[in-house]
Amino acid sequence: MGAVVAEDAAGAGAKMMDRFGIGWRPELAAGILCNLHDIDVVEVIADDYFSAPRNKVRALRTLSGQVPVVLHGVSLGLASAVPVDMPRLDRLARLVEITKAESWSEHLAFVRGGGYEIGHLASPPRTEATIEGAAKNLAAARQIVGALPAVENIASLIDPPGSRYDEPGWISEILSLSGTELLLDLHNVYTNAVNFGFDPLDFLARIPWNRVTTIHIAGGEWIKSDSSSETPRMLDDHLHDVPVSVYDLLRAAGTRALHPLTVILERDGLYPPIRELIAQLQLARTALAEGRAFQACHRGVA
Amino acid sequence: MSSTLFEAFLAKIYVNAKARTKFLADPLREAQRAGLSPEEALDLQNIDWVGLKLASKSFEKKRLRHAQGKARFLRLFERK
Repeated sequence: MGAVVAEDAAGAGAKMMDRFGIGWRPELAAGILCNLHDIDVVEVIADDYFSAPRNKVRALRTLSGQVPVVLHGVSLGLASAVPVDMPRLDRLARLVEITKAESWSEHLAFVRGGGYEIGHLASPPRTEATIEGAAKNLAAARQIVGALPAVENIASLIDPPGSRYDEPGWISEILSLSGTELLLDLHNVYTNAVNFGFDPLDFLARIPWNRVTTIHIAGGEWIKSDSSSETPRMLDDHLHDVPVSVYDLLRAAGTRALHPLTVILERDGLYPPIRELIAQLQLARTALAEGRAFQACHRGVA
Repeated sequence: MSSTLFEAFLAKIYVNAKARTKFLADPLREAQRAGLSPEEALDLQNIDWVGLKLASKSFEKKRLRHAQGKARFLRLFERK
């Protein structure tokens, strides 16, 4: 099927190629390799390869010869007042070099502090200090790895304490100060919107779209603690199908982005047959194309 | 704001169940004991309680799942 060709809003018949891909997981590997005609790019979790045997890294390099590979980090903790861990950056730099990945990304999260490893991505306090810390950490990342990562907005179950900025304001400041690009995770936008009561379309209206290069889509589930009186919250678990609301946001993205986007479907477990994931990619192609068509129509290009 | 200390305190109450229980019993005292500023202590007193419970439980599950997943992933590449 290949990448979707959309009219460039700049007009004059110029074309742009949106790409659609999937997160590389061992459980999905065979299915992905059998369906490369429907998959334009794969995203590999870099951290899985930091202490991997040599043959495993070689396999990843072979993969990058078959399909464009982008690396995705999950443990650097860039959005922190604490300096990024240099040995981790060194390992990432080596992996980028060996695998010839076309780009890399990381999350706007903190993952450790005071000797405690949180084990997952946590929202830092949205303050001047974490904006400046993120910018310094991104500069260090560029120096060691040789390229800036795109940074990803994260989902949260807790409204980060000590915050002085709202999320789009905080992200925009980091992008402005660091000069990097945004990996916009639409399920994370949706999750935070339903958990903390804001309009996800307002969020999309406030981010700098000229910096958005990649989009993540995924699914999650509603969870509650033991108390039955509490309102459920959305957990971004990547274990469920992409909900309609996220396709709606992808359509909205298509009305705003003026340049090609790479859309990655993330799935981390409860794996359905690969054809169902390919079908979700197809829904994503349709949603983004519809948004682009709407944009072109309103700019008089269609 | 002493951000490094604040992040360390958050990491501690997200990960350490005993520290979280002590914090929930008296947030101001625990924040002061950690050397946080009055402003930070107030932020923690107003913490999203439901979110703290849910997030810490989710982080714990993730740590467990990550440990299991990593072992399974590396087994795929073991030579027989």
